[in-house]
Amino acid sequence: MPLRLLKQGLLGGEREPRFFPEQGELRDRYDVVIIGGGGHGLACAHYLAKEHGITNVAVLEQGYLGGGNTGRNTTIIRSNYLTPEGVRFYDASLQLFKGLSEELDINLFYSTRGHYTLAHSDEALRTMRWRAEVNRHHGVDSRVVGPEAVAADVPGIDLECGGNHPVMGALYHAPGAVARHDAVAWGYGRAAASRGVEIHQQTRVTGIRTAGGRVTGVNTDRGAVDCDAVVSMVAGSTPRITAMVDLPTPIEIYPLQACVTEPVKPFLDTIVVSGSLHVYVSQSSRGELVMGAAVDPYSLHSTRSSFEFVEGLADRLIDLLPFTARLRVNRQWAGMSDLTPDFAPIMGTTPLDGFYLDAGWGTWGFKATPISGQTMAATVAAGRNHELIEPFRFDRFADFQLVGEKGAASVGH
Amino acid sequence: MPFRRSEAGPREWIDRSRTLSFTFEGRPCTAHPGDTITSALLASGVSLLGRSFKYHRPRGAVSLANHDVNALFATDADTNVRGDVTPVTDGMVADPVNVRGSLEKDADRHMDRFGRFLPVGFYYKAFHRPRALFPFWERIIRRRAGLGRVDTAWTPRRRAKRYGYCDVLVIGAGPAGLRAALDAADAGFDVLLADENPRIGGSLDYQWLGDAIADTQRDDLVARVLGHPGVTVQTSTVALGSYTDHWIPLAAPEGIIKVRARGVVLATGVLEQPAVFHNNDLPGVMLASGAQRLLHRFGVLPFERAVVQAANGEGLVAAEQMAAAGVTVAAVVAHGPGVTEADARRLTDAGIPVYRGWTVYAAHGSDAVSGVTIAPVDEAGNCDADSGETIHCDGVLMSVGWAPAGHLLYQSGGTFRYDDTLAMPVPADWPSTVVPAGRVNGAFTLGQQLADAGDAVRRLTAALRGEPVPPVVPQRDTVPHGSQWPIVPHPKDRNFVDFDEDLQLKDLEQAAREGFDNIELLKRFSTVGMGPSQGKHANLNAIRILARLRDQGIDATGTTTARPMYYPVRLEDLAGRRMRPERETPMQDWHRERGATFMEAGEWRRPAYYGADAASAIADEVAMVRNGVGLIDVSTLGKLEVFGPDAATLLDGAYTMRKGNIRLGLTRYALMVDDAGIIVDDGVAGRLADDHFYLSATSGHAEATYQTLTRKALEWGLDVHVVNRTGQLGALNVVGPMSRRVLEPLVDMDLSEASLPRLGICDTRVCGHWARLVRVGFVGELGYEIHATPAALTTIWHALLDAGAAHGIRPFGVEAQRVLRLEKGHIIVGQDTDGLTNPFEAAMPWAVHLKKPFFIGRPALAHLKGQEQRRLVRFVLPPDHAGPLPRECHLVIRNGDIAGRVTSIARSPTRGQPIGLAMVDRALADSDEPLTIRADDDVLVRGEMIAETFYDPDGVRQDADNPEATP
Amino acid sequence: MKVIDCPVIGTRPLSEFVYGGEVRRPPMDAAELSAVADHAFNRSGAPTLLREWWFHRPTSRWFVLERDTLSDRIERVVPPEEVAYAIPTL
Repeated sequence: MPLRLLKQGLLGGEREPRFFPEQGELRDRYDVVIIGGGGHGLACAHYLAKEHGITNVAVLEQGYLGGGNTGRNTTIIRSNYLTPEGVRFYDASLQLFKGLSEELDINLFYSTRGHYTLAHSDEALRTMRWRAEVNRHHGVDSRVVGPEAVAADVPGIDLECGGNHPVMGALYHAPGAVARHDAVAWGYGRAAASRGVEIHQQTRVTGIRTAGGRVTGVNTDRGAVDCDAVVSMVAGSTPRITAMVDLPTPIEIYPLQACVTEPVKPFLDTIVVSGSLHVYVSQSSRGELVMGAAVDPYSLHSTRSSFEFVEGLADRLIDLLPFTARLRVNRQWAGMSDLTPDFAPIMGTTPLDGFYLDAGWGTWGFKATPISGQTMAATVAAGRNHELIEPFRFDRFADFQLVGEKGAASVGH
Repeated sequence: MPFRRSEAGPREWIDRSRTLSFTFEGRPCTAHPGDTITSALLASGVSLLGRSFKYHRPRGAVSLANHDVNALFATDADTNVRGDVTPVTDGMVADPVNVRGSLEKDADRHMDRFGRFLPVGFYYKAFHRPRALFPFWERIIRRRAGLGRVDTAWTPRRRAKRYGYCDVLVIGAGPAGLRAALDAADAGFDVLLADENPRIGGSLDYQWLGDAIADTQRDDLVARVLGHPGVTVQTSTVALGSYTDHWIPLAAPEGIIKVRARGVVLATGVLEQPAVFHNNDLPGVMLASGAQRLLHRFGVLPFERAVVQAANGEGLVAAEQMAAAGVTVAAVVAHGPGVTEADARRLTDAGIPVYRGWTVYAAHGSDAVSGVTIAPVDEAGNCDADSGETIHCDGVLMSVGWAPAGHLLYQSGGTFRYDDTLAMPVPADWPSTVVPAGRVNGAFTLGQQLADAGDAVRRLTAALRGEPVPPVVPQRDTVPHGSQWPIVPHPKDRNFVDFDEDLQLKDLEQAAREGFDNIELLKRFSTVGMGPSQGKHANLNAIRILARLRDQGIDATGTTTARPMYYPVRLEDLAGRRMRPERETPMQDWHRERGATFMEAGEWRRPAYYGADAASAIADEVAMVRNGVGLIDVSTLGKLEVFGPDAATLLDGAYTMRKGNIRLGLTRYALMVDDAGIIVDDGVAGRLADDHFYLSATSGHAEATYQTLTRKALEWGLDVHVVNRTGQLGALNVVGPMSRRVLEPLVDMDLSEASLPRLGICDTRVCGHWARLVRVGFVGELGYEIHATPAALTTIWHALLDAGAAHGIRPFGVEAQRVLRLEKGHIIVGQDTDGLTNPFEAAMPWAVHLKKPFFIGRPALAHLKGQEQRRLVRFVLPPDHAGPLPRECHLVIRNGDIAGRVTSIARSPTRGQPIGLAMVDRALADSDEPLTIRADDDVLVRGEMIAETFYDPDGVRQDADNPEATP
Repeated sequence: MKVIDCPVIGTRPLSEFVYGGEVRRPPMDAAELSAVADHAFNRSGAPTLLREWWFHRPTSRWFVLERDTLSDRIERVVPPEEVAYAIPTL
């Protein structure tokens, strides 16, 4: 019995401190306004306060903390990217994640489970090798393994996949992990608030004020505030924010759906992804299978669910894990993915002075939460891009310096 | 023994004349046909049906309405089976889930005593320090996670899904649903009426049972619905969710029916809500409606001596029904304005003691109810425990209020607001074609329900006919039907708000105290409503608790999102029949018979090689093409025909090279890029007439190229038609120095260089059939692509095999083709290029005609020319290279860093050394440095970049008149 | 499943259509790099009434539909002439 639980059990819950202070009125002025109270926004607030001493910060959230994609993803954390800049960035994130429960003093259930990306064609296998080689070059533990290794770790898998898409091998990424997504937002939120950052929920930004080519403040549905810097960290709502400052971007919004089954006793310890079958699956610490697929087929600003998503997912999943046919889907939901043409984020400074962007997270934003917060905080503090995010700079599209992540055409979760 | 069979009832579902056997925890049990696992166990005197998720507390039957998620069972073929609605089958073997040992002696039952040390969100607060110990704790937690066990030997039972179409879908066959179905059918609509129960009638068959008027109405409605030609009745069928454009999947016994309705009536009724008091989860504490279902559907008397907690008239009716069936009603405990003095007198007169202004403070018992403490309660819901009295009983009925089964209405875009009188949320707004009716809409009396259904159908009819929709005629009840605060604190807690997740009042209070004080955060931190029943019995009370803590109204507190599925659905049912369309070429059977090993190529399977041993087969196939003649099936190529006066304009705009100046009867390489200049497809374009071109495209991109061309034709306003003949024509390539000699006797034309020059294309006859001949050079030998209809192509294929037999002709597969084309230095789009490669990077500047004023990608390529930062290079390894070959996607290393990757590599039989292509940094590509490849096991392999084509740089081997090529 | 009113054969399910993205017109002559990049990459990402290409597979026809990307309602079938433009030829 951990001491912490013993204490709360014996002394009662009244002494437990609040995670987040009661919300007060908006102040007239902040040094930095962060739009978006998801994992990224709260992490940025935390690192601004902790690592740069910038505490006159407001995080403005139109809904509730972590209610956007932070709370809607399938919680997979990995760094087996294709490009060196991708590997470096996501590996830095993964390293931060490892120590985050201790740093934030909240158990994020960060759990290293190993991550298999299955290859069902020699073309896919080639891409796996590419990723493995780039990963290993950067010290990230990824390797191409044969079907027998997959079978050893995934009980009950049908390596023939019903006969049409036999598993030819896989990219095994040992550090692949899952974590409690909501807790990441709460932990960062609490840590930021404890250093004086203000978190305002149910506060919608309605406009961004500029003068002389730089940001001077934001308007909200609770009134206007002045600020020197605005950081937009709103994923699926990014185009609405960038439209406020007339900043064209390549970002398009596509719904991304997921679902869970009823809880059953754990049988699947690893994370399994199949690009060809468009499924990814892991089993949560509650015992639910958490599953997802590719983004929806057309652009839409909505978190509505579609039946064809669960139909398609179920159809393919039971090719892979036939016995899961008897498990029952309990709930489905959707988030809004902000996709970029090169499957890499858009981060850092923008042509508008004082306006910083952290967007283009597509289907991979959760795993980047810590490093995005840290590098964006450094970027805002210094007024120039942190070196880790320089490859993801806003103007790379204008000069055709895209990130080569698209080479690995598969489901990217 | 409290639970026992009652006298036979008029509407019961069981067939008492027959008996089934099943076993539970290894013990033999009996049931009647129509019994569910739960009703059969209760009838046999088993009241402890399950253990709770977290504390392993004893749990029993509560609702008998598919919400009893603490009474889940495992069978040999399934798990998490809901006992309250799953029929017993003869010979069934059922066991409880989530217990170690037996239900009664569950080894985890002591968890209940540690509850105070496992407060809400406990797992966020512990086990993470020190970090190294977390995996230890995690293993323990994970072992206790989940409910039932899975068996990896289970195999999917895939059944076809059906599509259903109707004018009006009515969901719920209670009084409102029956009325709505009849009215809609009478209005001329084709009606589908679905209900989750095996029989229609809904609450008429238990709550209203014995009410003379209701019974008459019920018989009339049921008979008319069953007899109406316009109504199709679908029982045991659950509407899973409401998706875009009235798309409502139904889970029926025979599988899923996907219904597209023009209009929907949601007569989905209400869900009875539990009261929250100490030990409200003990077996024996039931919802009043649950006890009524048990009695009237399954003929089981749940108690001998019961206390009924009532905040509404429904509770009093339940008490009267129980009394009439032989249960001693020890007391009716009533609070709130829902039970009037007149009501109370009615019961008192019948000999049932009524405590008005009292509530149940606590239930007592270890594994079953043995008594309750009742106590006075004030209007605000504050309970005076000190003045409590204890009553001996073996059961408690809770009738304290309802929540609307409004999930589908919410998903259809409807909104709800809290009705203070009814003490439940009611629909505030809904689309004109998805309308609520009956109790879900706050119409409680039978008259109100029927009138509301009639009104709903009138409005829906107008909407479907495009007429002005009349205003709503309100039918909402003005009498309270529930308690505003059915919640009683207790110093020892165990007053459960959420039975699925084992959440007590204090847990929600604690979560809110810690800052999770908006409804969504409360849900996520506490997990209230996230269990298998998705909060159907927990959400409303959770909102009440939060509203009171925050001192605000229910509506201001908000609600959480009601997502599909309404009930959990098996993956195999969602999946349906397995359909994996694959495309086959005309020669597919022949390839199989010849022992080809196939490889995936999009929707196709192509022969990789023929024979058992890959290496020797590929080597032999390559040698035969170089030295004799080979035959490959290239039917998977995209084949597009482009006709019309603007055909040349379309192709000039769509491809990087000039197409308009291709001479009649000739072909030219065709490279397509996107707006960013990235290579997306390649093929060959041939001109058959001024206004007629024939195009090939890569196997995987044929459809996309067709779509691009048809769209551009519209976009550019061109007079042109594109026909996709990919599936209509097959194609083969007969290639090698002997190919002309083999083909010539079969073809009605002269195959000399003058007649069909290199890159030539023409329509002719082969083996008497129409065929299109193309002189192509992909593999670097004299060769002829023959495109023909499937039947003709099969004939030609066999004729070529016969004609070539003397020359040792053999089929070759994709692997040999890859080696051959690599020797010739031709790229494969998607292998030698990636998602960002432009033609300059692919070392194909010759394929970009920037002199054209416009083509897709030209604006980008005009800027990108000369700017490439990487480039595809040819390389060779030393002829004496020993050990394994580097593989495709092994990295090129320069100064210790990544400088590129190998995109293609093979041992070249012709050159006698390994050759390959690599995409490398420009600095390296421009240099004369050696190429270092990091192969398996980090072995560094040194190669050399070479400028010239590996094989036959001058192309003399493709000359039809070359004596060497045609000896 | 969403349905789309196909102008040729009536109401059809979404699964019969391929999404072709928003209607955009490329820069024609020697455009600045920024204009080229804008066309190649930038999109009207914010919720709006958008003209989009949709391909109906069973009939092999492209349509331009005006759709509200927030409500997912299709407001209008746009005649292709409205979005057509001439390309320069040699």
